[in-house]
This record gives sequence, structure tokens and C-alpha cells, in this order.
Amino acid sequence: MTDVVRMDAVSKVYGKGQGAVAALREVSVGIPRGSFTAVMGPSGSGKSTFLHCAAGLDVPSSGSVRLGGSELAGMDETALTELRRQRVGFVFQAFNLVAALTVIENITLPLRLAGVRPDRAWLDEVVSRVGLEGRTGHRPAQLSGGQQQRVAIARALVTRPEVVFGDEPTGALDTMTARDVLTLLREIVDATGQTVVMVTHDPVAASYADVALFLADGRIVDSVTAPTSEQVAERMTRLGAWVR
Amino acid sequence: MISLALRTLRHRVAAFAGAFVALLCAAALVCACGMLLETGLRGGVAPERYAGTPMIVTGDQFVRETIRKPEKTKTKAKPVAERAWVPASLAERVRRVPGVSRVVTEVTFPAYLAGRPFQGHGWESAPLTPFTLRAGREPRTAGEVVAEAGTGISVGARVPVRTPAGTGTYLVTGVTSQDLPGQDSLFFATAEARRLAGRPGQVSAIGVFPAVDVSGALHDTTALAYTGDERGTVEFPDAEKARVKLISLGGALGGTSLLVAILVVVGTFALSIQQRQREIALLRAVAATPRQVRRMLGGEALLVSVVAGLLGSAAGVGLGFWLRSRFVALDAMPENLQLVVSPFPLLAALAATVAAAWAAARLSARRAVRIRPVEALGEAALPTTRIPPGRLVAGLLCAGGGVALTVVLSSLSVEAAASPVTMLTALVWTVAVALLGPLIADAATAVLAVALRASRVGGYLAAANLRAGAKRLASVVTPLTLMVAMTCVILFVQTTMGHAAQEQAAAGTRAGHVLGPHVPSGAAAAVRKVPGVEAVTEVLHTSVRVGLDKYGAQAVTPDGLGSTMDLGVLSGSLDGLDDGSVAVSRTAAERLGVTVGEKIRLTLGDGTPAELRVIAVYARGLGFGDLTLSHALVVPHVDDPLGTALVTAPTVTRADLERAVPGIGDASPAAEAGTSNAEVSYVAMGLIIAFTAIAVVNTLAMSTSARSRELALLRLVGTTRRQVLRMLRLETLAAVAIAVVIGTGIALLTLSAFSMGMTDSPVPHIPPLGYLAVVVTAAALALLATVLPARAALTGRPADALGARE
Repeated sequence: MTDVVRMDAVSKVYGKGQGAVAALREVSVGIPRGSFTAVMGPSGSGKSTFLHCAAGLDVPSSGSVRLGGSELAGMDETALTELRRQRVGFVFQAFNLVAALTVIENITLPLRLAGVRPDRAWLDEVVSRVGLEGRTGHRPAQLSGGQQQRVAIARALVTRPEVVFGDEPTGALDTMTARDVLTLLREIVDATGQTVVMVTHDPVAASYADVALFLADGRIVDSVTAPTSEQVAERMTRLGAWVR
Repeated sequence: MISLALRTLRHRVAAFAGAFVALLCAAALVCACGMLLETGLRGGVAPERYAGTPMIVTGDQFVRETIRKPEKTKTKAKPVAERAWVPASLAERVRRVPGVSRVVTEVTFPAYLAGRPFQGHGWESAPLTPFTLRAGREPRTAGEVVAEAGTGISVGARVPVRTPAGTGTYLVTGVTSQDLPGQDSLFFATAEARRLAGRPGQVSAIGVFPAVDVSGALHDTTALAYTGDERGTVEFPDAEKARVKLISLGGALGGTSLLVAILVVVGTFALSIQQRQREIALLRAVAATPRQVRRMLGGEALLVSVVAGLLGSAAGVGLGFWLRSRFVALDAMPENLQLVVSPFPLLAALAATVAAAWAAARLSARRAVRIRPVEALGEAALPTTRIPPGRLVAGLLCAGGGVALTVVLSSLSVEAAASPVTMLTALVWTVAVALLGPLIADAATAVLAVALRASRVGGYLAAANLRAGAKRLASVVTPLTLMVAMTCVILFVQTTMGHAAQEQAAAGTRAGHVLGPHVPSGAAAAVRKVPGVEAVTEVLHTSVRVGLDKYGAQAVTPDGLGSTMDLGVLSGSLDGLDDGSVAVSRTAAERLGVTVGEKIRLTLGDGTPAELRVIAVYARGLGFGDLTLSHALVVPHVDDPLGTALVTAPTVTRADLERAVPGIGDASPAAEAGTSNAEVSYVAMGLIIAFTAIAVVNTLAMSTSARSRELALLRLVGTTRRQVLRMLRLETLAAVAIAVVIGTGIALLTLSAFSMGMTDSPVPHIPPLGYLAVVVTAAALALLATVLPARAALTGRPADALGARE
């Protein structure tokens, strides 16, 4: 299996001199194609920074990040934007959608920005896969929180990215809705071979993944294959104890 | 990106309403100023009295000076203040020119009928219009007059008329059929008219029938031939003066409003981008390059500005006509000077609006593209208050520019030069404050927080909000500061000037009585003979030019000058003021570089050159005029030789004087030219004040309505409506307090520099009540603009407001 994302000795330091804080320390990891990875860790463990560096939203202080074969180091903001546009999809915790645009316009926004005509059949498939048929003309304000996250997932999928990154995609949802969204992500991985990387602190969410990576103090300290929520919760408790 | 911009625009009408209103006002102001400017440049008046004459020969109404530069030579011309007359003998020479069938001569002089101004002419000039009689007959003897129709005077009436030759009673023998809108005329018998005009051997104009080339007859004189609409400018010298004034006023007003517009629009755009930070971060994260974000914001600005520009320039046409009507009412512009209406001001306003919006969008976009895509993720970082280095440098540069302008301003002693620089100085300082705003807001809140904590809930929250939202506070403080600073400067420049002039005039006037206006020399002579009268000084105001520069001048009778007027002589002496000498104020002496004993060449009001020896330099130039000339020298060179008279007679009451010489005190003293000037400024600059007020309301309303979620949250955690409103009021009052302090500081700096240059004293005159009114108005406007949107935001259930997406 090839790695879609490959990080080698990636460090990220915020600030300078005395006040410098290392958010990532020499992290090396590969995300295999077609996998569903959950990144876990207590607050301040560096999991957000990990996601930013892996997704090309931020530039590491040192080390190398390869995304689908391209080296991110040395790219300027415009090049990074174009790379994200083609190879990465995002699902955030909230504020995912542009309020002025309808559902279908939000979904096709990355294509519009790239100046690419949407592939009708793929668009229809994406819309039906996330269960939004009949709602494409609505505006975000007319949708529930779960439906809004479905729109965000559809938007992440529409460019056929190499990898979809989720930053606490279920963090703002109730348990039932969260379960639906996670099931949808799982189905997408299984059915289309889409690679998904999700940052979360919820053991239940992590249990939907193939692999759970545990971050603490800027390092990957553990990884569990086919995790259950009990396993994850137990690791998290121990991590919390380490950090304290 | 344009379609995306259009979508956003439609969805966020409220956010763009602020920028839209600001741009609309700017377009209207620029368009109105453009109309004034164009009228000044190209406007003309149609002749009325000379309408029936193809060609008018009269003196050159301009002072011309040839400026030689190594590469080119050009001639500059400036209008003279009074009508230039020509020798009567010229009429005969013109008549002998082949092709001329007839010449008609005219004299013009002021005639007052119970204080009401008429133009006196001889009946000889009736064919120029031509005037015909509707009733009665022409004036044949010295005691007869014909009145123009529409003046309410009827045949058979006996009317007292005051002219430069004195007051006399005339029998009305006829009334004309014509009624000219721009003037009221009285026609005397030809010989009587020449006597009353008091300029033997001269005529004010010669009508030539038909129009042929008469330059041969004029070649060795200063006279010129005028045809077409040029005849109108000769007939109405005031129109020419008004045009010059319109050019400078239109330019200054238009320039100031454009600068204010850019400042205001940048502010509103910046605020709206700040409010859309999340959305822009999302676009950046999803796939928009910085360039695309810039283009989207530029597209929005373009759309808003085109619509605002079109509507605004249409409104500007109406505003232009309104301004004209105000100026006409204030006598700053003659009724018959029509506004030039053409597409140019509309196009200029549209272009200026679009350019201003584009520039504003570009500036604000710099901030927008700095928004990191990461901010769309999870909990967005608090807005940082750190000023980017570019902005800091620009702010410091602006402050430097403010210092330089303030220094320059303090050395300017001519009002025409000082006025625009004053506005510019205040603006540049405000821009500096706007750029360094967050720093200033930080410092100011640290001070204010202490005071605010006195109120336990509202004040505590307000202090916290101010500290956390320094950027938002800064964006609110800027328009408030602008309003306070501009209003103070506009209002108090006039009071400073007026006060200094009044103070000097009061300190320098020793005479107990001021007679006038329109006192004939004969009446003044009669007053001199009244027992107990020590001295009478006749005073005339005119303006002269030295080179092309205009100087206000007073002409006085020299006898007993010392006991009626104290000009504050610094060197030399006013004794022996005669036809060959002049006294100059210190500022004028500095400008001209002359001292006592030297000679100056100047051009009198009607274009007659004179070379005069400086006999004194005096201090009170503001109160009395920059030059003091002898009355006898000036009288033959002004349109209206009827002036005021200063009388020193400690033992005589005014009633005694009026009894001795009837009719000298019947008219109320005319308003000084200065006050009319001030009113014109108030009307014109008042628009800028209104504009800044709109900007204040705009920004505060935007800022408050964007906080509905935050307000809802506060209510959910148990803050009462009353507490929320108090918190908002206190926040706004804190902003007002900061703005008043900074705005007053800017105004004081600017006014002191202005005052230093114009009056030699660094203390401007600021009436406390006026200042209080400015502050109270600013606070009331700001509170209203906060509380109304806040009330709207607080209606409905807080939970709904919280649930609504941003």
C-alpha cells in the first residue's frame, strides 16, 4: 500500500527565542491510501498542528511533508492553495459553509475557484451518497447541523481529492447525528477507497477508524489498529496521566 | 469571482449598506463640487443691459502679467475688483472707424433709494438694451429720472436718491417697459448722470453698432472690445469674481470630500472584512488563492461603487442646484450666473467613487489575505491587536506629514492659501490616527477601564470588551475622531479669523460713532462742521493687486486720522498719507518684502497702475486691511465711492449728528464681507461635517448589529436587556471620549498653526458653547447609532439569535 501523506521528522515551533513552543517534535508517519485514520490526543498535544502541516495549511519549521508525491516544503501560499484545491478536502467542526451560497453552490465552490466544470455524474453520486437529494437549492441557514456537515463532506469529496481531512467533524453535533456522519465517512472509505484523516478527542469517533494515532507533547506515542472505543478511552486516560 | 461577489453582496446587504451609503454621499458631494468647479471654469452670464448692442468697448477687466521661464512665456490674468472706465473721447475715435454706424456711451454709478441699491445711468445709454418707455417721457432736466419697470416706482413720484455726489430729490418722469432680472436701474438726464458719476471725461462703456473690428482705434489704450457672452462678464463684474471663488471653493470642497470619502470607505470595508474573517478563512482553506480573495473583494467594491456612484451623482446634481441656491441667497454668487450642466461632473464623480472604492478594497484586502486559512478551523484565534509593520510605517509617515503640514500652515498668512492647507492638515493627522488606531485604542482603554469598572455589570463588561476588541474600537474611533476634528476645524477657523479681525477693529477704532453705509463725501463734510466734532475719517474698502496677488485695502481721509483710528503703527508714520503714499500691514510688508521708504507698484481696483511710497508699517492688518491708501487716490477708481465715516466727537450724541446732517444714520450697517464669506464656508463645509456624521452612524450601526450573537449569549447567561444596553452605551461613550480627546487635539494643533500664521497668536478662538455643542452632538449621534441597532438585535428570543448562523 502506498502512502498518500508522508511526514518525515516534521517539527513545528511557534514563537522565537525564550518564548518558543514546540507543537510538533520530529514526527514521522505515513498515511496509507484508502485508510481511515483517527488522530487522538489531549488538548495541547499538537494534533491540530499535525493536521495543519499534513494538509498544507501551515508550513513546518523543519522536516518534509509529501502529499500525493509532492514535496510541500518551499511552496508559496498560492501553490499551496492550488495543491489543496486539487488534492485535499476539508471538513471542519463548524463554519464550514458560505452562507450566501446554496447547497449545490457550496459543494461546487472548490471547482468554481479552480475554474473547472463539475462532472455531472460524479456530482450527482456525491450528492446522493451524502443523502442531500432534494435539498440542493437550500441555503445553509435552512439546514440542520448534521445536514450542514453532510454538505461539507460532499464539498470535500467533489474534487476527488487524495485525502479528506476532518478537524473534529462531529465536535459540534449531538450523539445521534454524529454517529450518522461517522457512518457516512466509514461508508465512503469502504465504497470508494477514499483516504480520510480525522482529528478528534472522542473515543467513539475514533472507533470508526482503521487506525488511531495517539499524540502527546508533540510526538506520536502510540498507534492502535482497528480500535474500539474502550481501548481508545483507556489509552487516552493514560496519556492524560503522562501529560499531567 | 464576480458572480461570487454578487452572491455575497445580495446575501450581506446589511454589511455593504455602510460602504454603499458612504460611497453614495461621496459621489453626490464630488458631483456637486464638480458642477461648481465647471461653472467656475466655463460658466458665463448672458448680457442683459448690453443685450441690444453687438459690441461693447470698455477697459480691460484683468491685470495681466507675463511670466518668463527659460522654456516658455505665458501670460496670467486675474480679474480686477472694480469696473475699468475708458476716456469719453474714445467714443469719437471708435465712431470714425469705417463701418461703425453709431456709438452709445454709458456711465454707471451707485444710487441708493432709502438704502436700496440701484444702478444710475444717463438716458443716453438706453439704446444699449434697448430700454423704451412704457409711461411718461425721458428725463430732460437735472431733477428728473426714469425708473426701470418692476421697481415699484411710478410716474409723478418724488424720490430721494443718494449718489456719490450727495442726496437729492428727483421727479420720476417715466417708467421703462423692460424689467431686467439682474439689476434695478435709474436713468438720469445725460449731463446730470455724468455729474453724479463724478468722473469727468470718462465713460464706463461704449456701445458700438454694428460689431466691426475696432482694434485700430483702441491700439494705444487699455480698452478692449467685447462681443457675445463676453458682454455679460463686463456687465456683471461680480459674476467674474464669483467664478473665481467657485473654482477655489469647488476644488477645495471636492478634494476634501474625496479624501474624507476614501478614509470613511476604507473604514467601512475594513470593518466588513473583519466581520467576515471566518468566511474568508474558509474560502482560503477550501481553495481560494490570495489573488482570488483580492479579486472577489475588488469585485464587490466595484459592484457597490458603480451603483452608489450612479445614484450618488444623480443626487449630486440636485445637491449642486441646492448649493447654488444657498450661495445666491448669501450673495456669494450672482443670480444670473447659471450652473453649467454637463455630463463631466457626473462622470468625474462616478470615476472618483469607483476609484475610491477600489483603493479602499485594495487596502482592506491586504488585511484579508493575511487571514490564515487555519483560522477557519476549530476555535479561531482572538483577533490580534499587533499592528503590521507596513501600517505602522505608513502611520508614522502620516504623522510626519502632519507635523510638516502644521509647520507650513503656521507660516501661511494668506487666507486663500491657509484654508485648504488647514483642511489637509486636519485630514492627514486623522489618517495618522486611523492607521495607528489599534495602538491608541490599546493605550486609551487601559486608562478608561479604571473609570468604567465603577459600573459593576455594564461597566465591567464594557471594559472587558474594549480591551478584547481594540481593533473594533479603533474602527469606531476613527470616524468619530474625523467628525470631531473636522467640525472643530471648520467651525473654529472662522471664529478665530472673525474674532481676531473684530478684536483688532475694536482695539483700533477710536471714533465714537460709525456712520453709514453709503455716506456721500458731502455729508461727511457737513458732519465735520457740526460743533463738537473733532475728526471725521471717510473709509472705503476695495482691493488692489500687487503683481497678481490680491490685497484687501482701505482708503481713508488723512485729516485727523490719528484720533479716529489706531492701526498700531510699528514703524514710520501715517502723517502725510497722500496720493503718492501707502501704509502696509506687517504681514503684507513681509509678503512684499518692503520697509518704510521703499516703493511698491500696485494696480488699483479698476486696473489703473500706481507707484506708491511706503510711509508706515502697522500691526492691525486683519481688522482694517492689508493696505491703507488715501481716500482721494482711490475714489476715482471704485464702483461705489460711498463708504462709511468714523466720527470722533466725545461731546456729541448720535442723535445730535443725525439731526445736524439728516439721513446719515438711516440704514443699518451692512454686514461685513467677512461674515458672508464665513457663511459660504459653513454651507459648503457643513456638507463635509454631515458626511462624517453619516460615517459615524454607519460604522457604529455596522459594528453593533454584527454583535447580535454575542449579545444573545450575554442574555442567555443572565444579563438583562438593561445591562446589555448599558454595556453598549458605556462602550460607545468610551469611544466618544477617546475620539473627542484625539479629535480636539488634532483640531487644536491645526487651529493653533492656522492662528499663528494668520493672526500671529497661537491661541485660536473657540467659543465654549460651540465646542460643547460639537461634543454633545457627537455623543448623541454615536449613542443613537448604537442603541437603535442594539434594540433591534435584542428583540426576539436570544436562543434563536444564538442558533442563527453567522
